[in-house]
Amino acid sequence: MSLRVIDANLIVSIKSFYREKTAVFFRVAFPVLLILVFGTIFMNQDNVRYDFYMQDLDQTDSSTELVKTLEINENFKIIMIDPNIDAAQYARKNKINLIVVIPKGYESSLMQRMGLEDLSASATIKYIYDPSSTSVDTKMQILNSVFAEINQRMSGKPTFIKPAVTSILSRDYRFIDFFVPGIIAMTVMTASLFGAVNVNAELRQKGVIKKLSTTPITHTDWILSNVLYQFLLSVISTILILLVSYAVFDVSLKLNFWLPVFVVLDVFAFVGIGMILTRVAKEAESAAAAANAIMFPMMFLSGTFFPVEMMPGFLQKFSRILPLYYVNEGLRASMIFMDNMVALRCSVIIGVFAAAVFVLGMMTTKWEEG
Amino acid sequence: MLNDSEWIIIINMTKEAEHAIEVENLTKLYGDLLAVNDISFTVRKGEVFAFLGPNGAGKTTTVEIIETIRTPTSGKVSLLGMDVTKKKRKIVRRIGVLPQGFSSFDRITVRETIQYYSRLFNCRNTDIDELIELANLKDKSKEQFMNLSGGLKQRLGIAIALVNNPEVVFLDEPTTGLDPRARREVWDVLLGLKKKGKTVFLTTHYMEEAELLTDTVAIISKGSIVAMGSPGELIESNANYLVLTLQSVDEKVFEILQKMGFEPAPTNHKKIKVRMEHQDDVRKILNAIKDAGASFLSLDVRKPNLEEVFLKLTGAALREDIAEEVTQ
Repeated sequence: MSLRVIDANLIVSIKSFYREKTAVFFRVAFPVLLILVFGTIFMNQDNVRYDFYMQDLDQTDSSTELVKTLEINENFKIIMIDPNIDAAQYARKNKINLIVVIPKGYESSLMQRMGLEDLSASATIKYIYDPSSTSVDTKMQILNSVFAEINQRMSGKPTFIKPAVTSILSRDYRFIDFFVPGIIAMTVMTASLFGAVNVNAELRQKGVIKKLSTTPITHTDWILSNVLYQFLLSVISTILILLVSYAVFDVSLKLNFWLPVFVVLDVFAFVGIGMILTRVAKEAESAAAAANAIMFPMMFLSGTFFPVEMMPGFLQKFSRILPLYYVNEGLRASMIFMDNMVALRCSVIIGVFAAAVFVLGMMTTKWEEG
Repeated sequence: MLNDSEWIIIINMTKEAEHAIEVENLTKLYGDLLAVNDISFTVRKGEVFAFLGPNGAGKTTTVEIIETIRTPTSGKVSLLGMDVTKKKRKIVRRIGVLPQGFSSFDRITVRETIQYYSRLFNCRNTDIDELIELANLKDKSKEQFMNLSGGLKQRLGIAIALVNNPEVVFLDEPTTGLDPRARREVWDVLLGLKKKGKTVFLTTHYMEEAELLTDTVAIISKGSIVAMGSPGELIESNANYLVLTLQSVDEKVFEILQKMGFEPAPTNHKKIKVRMEHQDDVRKILNAIKDAGASFLSLDVRKPNLEEVFLKLTGAALREDIAEEVTQ
């Protein structure tokens, strides 16, 4: 191993990198953009407000009071519609998925119940809704619970069963916290995989590898240089992803030694796979296609964008054989749940895998033409 | 007095001192395909040696075996006294290589590329400016590789082949695909190398290149060496005749030449080529044409070149576009 040679390779790789603007974009800006876009979408879901249409047919003080009660609930933004129009037609015409109609005689029923204690007196609040809409169920559930609480208060008796909430996490766990480790694992994977494929297939096809094989550089030096370069870039993109996540979304992720461990193993595993691919597929184009075929299932089925638990059973089993699954699980175990045992188990699995493919990759990649 | 075995040692030592490359009975098979068929030759130190032959003749395979990139099927190849199959690490430090179709890192500049290769050889005393000067790349030293023309790329490749001050330089088709001007500019660089006294192993399918630059030419066809010697020797011993070319001739001239016992060969651009054994034949032909009242536009008499030697020895042209080149 020659440090001077590795140093020379690193200089060439880094210069080539920053002079190639599209490479900088995909390597650095793209993951940050992903975080920003998905983070913004998920943040809005965390404190979502529903537009809420109401029609007051009663037009009394009591009905106005009921509307105000609902307005206090911060989930709702209430929009009143004209009591003289047909609500169902209005909903259909304006594509509104739910209109809550306060019936005529609401106040008089209320008086009968409260003043005269007539238990047979009741008010029917009508939901005019579109069952094909996805968010309508949530709206109706929230409404039901609000009405249940009003009913309960009117009965004048204190509640018996009260829920108390204790989170198993030290802080509230939000989707963005789940998302960031996945993006780190995915960014390192794609860069390492395509880095290895491009370096080996493209340079070989161009004849640069042939020229290198007539110089004193050893095969080991060359591969080590590439791994080191991929690791450096991975560290830079990971730091950027984390900076943006903390600054913009105030994520509650814990940083410890597991992070660099998983980044290194991620690099080795996918540089190894990349080297094997370039040996199997001789042309640069087919090697890149093969790398894509490996990357997409990893990206979508190993829990990068959404939890594996959301997938059907057979796909969950399949995800267990994907190496990226263990990087994702390991990073989340260390960054969110601070579970060292799970992190250790994942690091051993991905570590053994990385060692195996890397050695295999070294063995299959040859410079001599035969 | 020395005894026989001591004489043999001395002879071997001088042989080793004289020869940069020794190839004995080299054969290379790719599956069933015989790429190199039992060839033997030596290259003296300090000479420019060329393999002249068409594509697929086995030039590159042979060179790459000597450069340690490929392994021979059988035979013995030694470079600077070392077996190429065993001393790869030592050999690569003492040779410089311009591979066929040389390419480098797209976004790295001329100067940076030379620096990079110099670092690979761990050469702290490479004079990068001198190499840039030698390859005539001074104006382009800050240009990225991807922006260089074909000729500039080849000249950079030659500069890189010299970063470790090698004893033997291999140039595999250094001018293929270049336009005539770029080719001449590469030749200028190669002549500079020759002046420096480097041993140069060149492969080419341009006979002008071999004639202009080399001390020794080996003509190679279908994996075998068919002739070897200096360009002058090869022409002298294989093509001892004159070539007469007549342009824009009457149709009658063709018949006249046939009647006189020559074998006129029509080429393109309305030219006829005739081989003659004696200088006196020129006068005879001119008289015959004059007597018949026929006419022609121009006439050219010259000695044959390596192209014709190659044609005679192998019955095939070096390149497909050669008929045109020879007549020009």
